[in-house]
This record gives sequence, structure tokens and C-alpha cells, in this order.
Amino acid sequence: MRLPATSRYATAIRENLPVIGTLIIVVVLWQFLTQSGVIPQYLLPSPSSIVLTYFTSKVDWAGQTLVTLREILVGFALGTILGIALAFLVAESKILSKIMMPYIVMTQVLPLVAIAPIIYITFGFNDTSRIILVILISFFPVVIGTETGLIDVDKNLVYLLRTLGAGEFKVFYKIRLPNSLPHMFNGLRISMTGATIGAIVAEFVSSNAGLGYLITTSLTTYEIRTSFVAVFILAALGLVLYGAVTILSRLLMPWFKGN
Amino acid sequence: MQHVGKTYGTITGESVEALRDVSFDLDEGEVLGIVGPSGCGKSTLLRLMTGLEPPTTGKIERVESTGKFRVGFIFQDSSLARWRTVLENVRLPLEVLGIKDETNIKKVIELVGLSGFEKAYPSELSGGMQRRVAIARALVHQPTVLLMDEPFSGVDEITKEVLQTDLNYLIRTLAVTGVLVTHDIDEAVYLSDQVLLMSARPGTIVQKVNVALPKIRGPHVRTEPDFVNCTAQIREKLLLILPKTSLKRENTS
Repeated sequence: MRLPATSRYATAIRENLPVIGTLIIVVVLWQFLTQSGVIPQYLLPSPSSIVLTYFTSKVDWAGQTLVTLREILVGFALGTILGIALAFLVAESKILSKIMMPYIVMTQVLPLVAIAPIIYITFGFNDTSRIILVILISFFPVVIGTETGLIDVDKNLVYLLRTLGAGEFKVFYKIRLPNSLPHMFNGLRISMTGATIGAIVAEFVSSNAGLGYLITTSLTTYEIRTSFVAVFILAALGLVLYGAVTILSRLLMPWFKGN
Repeated sequence: MQHVGKTYGTITGESVEALRDVSFDLDEGEVLGIVGPSGCGKSTLLRLMTGLEPPTTGKIERVESTGKFRVGFIFQDSSLARWRTVLENVRLPLEVLGIKDETNIKKVIELVGLSGFEKAYPSELSGGMQRRVAIARALVHQPTVLLMDEPFSGVDEITKEVLQTDLNYLIRTLAVTGVLVTHDIDEAVYLSDQVLLMSARPGTIVQKVNVALPKIRGPHVRTEPDFVNCTAQIREKLLLILPKTSLKRENTS
């Protein structure tokens, strides 16, 4: 039985009240502390000045956001495809797993800022390199998540299909694949946040546009407020992207009582 | 089954003889119960009947009068697909076999008493209800033989007896040919026409008991003399083949 529309909105508001309430309290406190000078505004601008900067600055916020967003989404999509492909290989063959896993793990333990210059020199100081860096950081959680999902299968279900004469493809399509979705989506959620960070770090090392570019350039010119606006947009962007993955997972896995 | 034996190789290189010289016939419409202590190879025996693995020695003959030989399998835990609804779970064998006709699905769901739950997911059902879905799934494609591997293990006694009563009624009404593997002697006698008692290591048949009870057995049968005598017969033999208790005690017998 569904509640009437107005009541559902009321419930939604009521459920999110703690989050909204906390946010309001934090903002009010922040405004008070900075406005009164307890925290100097050259270190931490007040919320009101940040909002003012957003509206009065000559920066094309939407355009800059889109630059970074494109790096995140393309990198994430390609990283996901790469991650799933690798997971299949690793799950299928123990030999491939032994050969590939050390190198895969190595790409993760080396800090991105150290790898970035090498990528830029090899592929050029351009968007392609930035997308490659995003792929590097976002593919790994997908590998782990998908591989876990492929291995963690109910052997009885596989046996059942075999008694009915099903071949490997049917077993994969009907059992292994749907079974792996929850684990894969866990990997995707982590990967999405990683992709966001990866795009910014790539821009920190070298870029001429984007939110990361704005943050570094405005910090070097001491335009703290500009960098804060960029940071806030970034935070909101990250939340929206993460939420999108979660919503997608709920759509594709209606049975899953997870997050 | 004619003088069937099965030997496995273990990781350490040894070979384990799971079954030795097992012979019996299963007629159409008959239900065979197989009881025995853990490790006596009864599950191995059941799985040999699916045809996925051949026996090491002996011969298994499958005779199907009409069409292809098909098995239905019920596992020790329901093993339902969590991502499929009840209806989709029951439909799975038909999908695999390429059978487009879906009339059996609703019918068999009704027979196990789950009408109205077609759109529910396994996580929303009780354990007993999940077992019923497993039964429906095993019967939807009208298998030649229904193979049941401890289908109610882990279920509480009261629910178990209800499930057994319903399964007995279902099997007899549909004239299903079945093999039941269980360590519950009462369950074996209640559901079967013939009970085989197996001993362990290697698994062999030590007793064959005929169950002379009417095909459809209501719940009251469990307390009737014929039933109790039958189970007593099996229990006595079981005591003989089980290893003596290792606990030190006064001589009571």
C-alpha cells in the first residue's frame, strides 16, 4: 500500500531532517565564527562570502564543472569496462590471476601524483592523459567487486542447471552474472568516488581547465574564496554521482536489501 | 542400478571408495528412500542418478517411455536464486530446457500452497516457504525422476512434518517417481515405497525394507503400528552397523 504523495514527501523530509538540520547548524556556526573574526577570513572564508563569490565572480562555473565531469564520467565508464573484463579473466583462470594480480595491485599502491607525470609525458599534456589517470584509479574496485561476485556463486544452482543440460554460457548468463551484481555495484560505488578524486588530482598535476585547475590556480593567487566555491561544487558533484550509482543499483537489483 | 561403485581420488593422492556394489531397481511411480549415517555415500549415489558423472564400476540404466529423461533436484538447502521472484525461480528449469509453455508454473505453485506469492523474493519468505518453492521448481518440468537430497534438513520438526505430509500428497497425486536421501528414518518410511539402509565406508546396501502402507499417507500414519514397526525394523539394523559408542558406561543391556 503506497502512501499518498503528500505524505511520502513529508516522510522524506522527516527522514532527512537530521542531515539537513546538521548542515544548517554547521553553516550558521561557521558564519558566526568567521564573521566575528574568531577564525580569520583569509584562512576560512565565511559562507556568505563564498556564496557572494559564486555569483559575482567572472568564472564560468558550469563550464569548468563540465570539464571535470567529463573526465570523471569517461574515465569511470572506461575504468568499469576494464575492471569487469579483468575480473572475468582473473576469475576464469588461476594462471592469469597469478600473473596479472601483482601488476594490478602495483598500479594501486603507487601514488597517483607520482604516476601522473609519466602518463603526461607519454600521452601528452591533454585530456586523454587525465582520463587515463581516472581509469587507473577507478578500475581496481570494480575488478575486486566483480571478481568476488563471480566466485561467490551458489554451487547448487550451477549443478541444477547442469542436470538440465545447460552449457557454460547459460550458466553464466542465468546464474553467475545476476549473482555478481551486488558485489559489482559495491565496487562501482567505491570506484565512482575514486574517479572523482582521480580527476581532481590529475588536474592538480597539470591542466588548463576544470575544478581542480580552479582550486590550484586560485590558491596560488590567494583567492581562497574561489577555491572554496570550487570545493563545494566538487562535494555536491561527488554526492550526486555517488547517488546516481546507488539509484542505478536499486533499479537493476530490486531484490537487494543492501545499502 | 547394477553393481554400481564409485571411487574418488583425493587431493593427497589417495583413493576413496565412496560406493561399492549398489544394486536396485526403481519402477515408475515408485518412491525409493535411502537412509544411512553421514558419509555413507547416499548423496554420491543420488548424484550418480543425474547422469552428470559416470559410476566407476557397474551400470546405471535409465528407461524413459516417453520423450527425454529429465531429473528434478531438491537440495539440502533450498538454493533459490535470490534475484528471482518465486515465479521466476520456478520457471528456471523451463527456461533452461527451452519450454515456452508456462501453464505448469502457476499450477505447481498452487500445488505447493504458495498461490499469491508469485511476485515475492526468497528473502521475503520463511524457510518453509522457500522449501516449497524448491519443490515446485523441481517438479515444474515434469521430470522423469525427482531426486531429493535431504530436502528438509535443518527445518524444525513441526514444519518438517507438515512439509512431508504435503510432499507425500503432491508426489502421489502427480504419480512422481522419486528418490529421497535422508538421515531421518521416519521421513524415509513416511515418503517411500521401499527403503534402502546403507552403511558407510564404503557405502553399501545392508537392508531393503518394503513399506506396506497406502500411497497417500495423512499425518496420523506416523503413529500407526505398521509405520512404527517399519521404522523399528530399520532402527534395529542401524544399531548393528553403527560403530559402538566410545563413551564408557555401565553395562546396561
